[in-house]
Amino acid sequence: MTDQHITTPETSRMTRLPALRRYVNLLGPMIMVIVLCIIMAFAEPRFFNVPNLMIILHDAAIFMVLGTAMTLVITARGIDLSIGAVAALSAIVMAMLIKDYGVNVYLAMAASVVVGLLCGFVNSVIITRLHVPDLLATLAMDQIYRGIALVLAAGAVLARFPEPIPFIGRGRVLGGIPVSAVVGLVALAVGVVLYRSTHIGRYAAAIGGNREAALLSGINVRRHKTLQYVIMGGAAAIAGILLTGRLNAVQATVGQGLALHTIAAVVVGGTVLFGGRGTMLGTLVGVLLLSMVTNALVILRFQFFWQLVASGIVIIASIGFYSYMNRSGDDDGKDET
Amino acid sequence: MCKIGVEMEGEKQPLLAMRGITKSFGGLRAVTDVDLTLHEGQILAIVGDNGAGKSTLIKILTGVYQPDAGEIFICGAKVEMSSRRDSIRVGVNAVYQNLGLVDALPAPANVFLGNEPVRRILGIPFLDNRRMREETERILIENTGVKLEDATVPTLNLSGGQRQAVAIARAVLVADLKVLVMDEPTAALGPEETRNTLALIRAVRDRGIAVIVISHNLEHVFAVADRVMVMRGGRKIGEVDTATSSGTEVLGMIVGSAVGAGAHATTPSTLGAQQ
Repeated sequence: MTDQHITTPETSRMTRLPALRRYVNLLGPMIMVIVLCIIMAFAEPRFFNVPNLMIILHDAAIFMVLGTAMTLVITARGIDLSIGAVAALSAIVMAMLIKDYGVNVYLAMAASVVVGLLCGFVNSVIITRLHVPDLLATLAMDQIYRGIALVLAAGAVLARFPEPIPFIGRGRVLGGIPVSAVVGLVALAVGVVLYRSTHIGRYAAAIGGNREAALLSGINVRRHKTLQYVIMGGAAAIAGILLTGRLNAVQATVGQGLALHTIAAVVVGGTVLFGGRGTMLGTLVGVLLLSMVTNALVILRFQFFWQLVASGIVIIASIGFYSYMNRSGDDDGKDET
Repeated sequence: MCKIGVEMEGEKQPLLAMRGITKSFGGLRAVTDVDLTLHEGQILAIVGDNGAGKSTLIKILTGVYQPDAGEIFICGAKVEMSSRRDSIRVGVNAVYQNLGLVDALPAPANVFLGNEPVRRILGIPFLDNRRMREETERILIENTGVKLEDATVPTLNLSGGQRQAVAIARAVLVADLKVLVMDEPTAALGPEETRNTLALIRAVRDRGIAVIVISHNLEHVFAVADRVMVMRGGRKIGEVDTATSSGTEVLGMIVGSAVGAGAHATTPSTLGAQQ
């Protein structure tokens, strides 16, 4: 009895395939990266110059930080549209503390992260306690945070910050590697560990994949939703610091469009918008792909507006490819239960 | 299973006893004065039409609902349960029809969900994924005889029988499990998967765990259960031994018609559609 091994022919086929299929959602963006590289090899070989590649990394850095946290949020079937405003608000608070109140720069940076964490916490309270859907809650909070940032800054552009803010935002280390990219890659590395080897990542997948099962397993869904949004808020604040340092200036309107670009990168990378399945590696690929497309169009001297068109095409192509691969996967004999 | 074999009136003490269980929802009597006795290593099937009170009874046993009246004894000791956690604590666990698996997560993550072993590095708890994988493979082999070829694939990509085994492994993980409740384990399974699942149930029984199976399918019930308890309109209509009874007799009890009901009444497979 106990030696009976249940392996039907169907089973063995199904268990071997996913090993490949696990990375299938990366295939679409990977193909696009390769196609883009081939095109650029002919159209403008300078695309591959190390300084240009560093520009791409520099551009992608903010979205690595945001994408890491957003992957977690989306995996748990959440979404955060407020991150652009959170980045702006936390950056404005930091800038005002330094400029208007003469606060130590490190203290001000810490304060901005605290503001970000708080914003994330407020989002989570509205979602988990008032039961406002994630999308609408963060859409509304985006307006509120942006409004507060605008009121605080009163139209001012705050500029010329002490180190290390410019260093973090646009400095280079080790012969040209952007500091921001180091920050972004560290964030992603932390994200990978968080995702694979901690309760935070595991329960995000459980909550997004089967909320009922998560609840029945005794997982504190509310606490983990809160954690995810707090982490997202912290990431948004770090993005705000990077943005401030990049231009060495900040105003309350900064960071518009950050949320949608981040969500696009995460989804292009293969994280499923309906929860349960996320991939940090995919997010890295998604972020890099979008930044590469933008950069390619810039060096090919296309008008800025074409970048929007191209980003849209990339998003649709990735998700279309992913849906197609998944549909063909479902057809080969798997019973839905 | 029960620690000390206290003899009760010369009979071996039952693992589980439910006495006079009654539960209403508003004005609706869902379960009325139901008794249930289950001994170690037994498989009891509960059958009945939709709305017969099976699910309510099971939810009371697993702590989801609290009975208005009646008592539950585990190994002769009275237990009070106000949540699933309580039922798990006293050694009763359930595998629901939808299995309660997170499809996107692999088997080990599902088996240990909410109960993950951790390794502390600098005081930070990290999931011990390797231990979860090894333990899952061991639990699966020991309790269900199922061997996974690759424990890292999402459970979505496992066969119906394997998914069932993962759900059982998850339920069996409870320390000192005494009673395993399975709600419609063979619903939506093909013939091959059904056979495998029935084998899984026997494998669990062979571990000395008492099993309660809720099912609509009398063929499967007779294939696996030792006894069948029939419910109708929230009451226990009767209980028969599968060795000395027939599907026709049980079917007659379910639909409430006189002897010979089987001649014109529904077949087991269409029973679910009948109200």
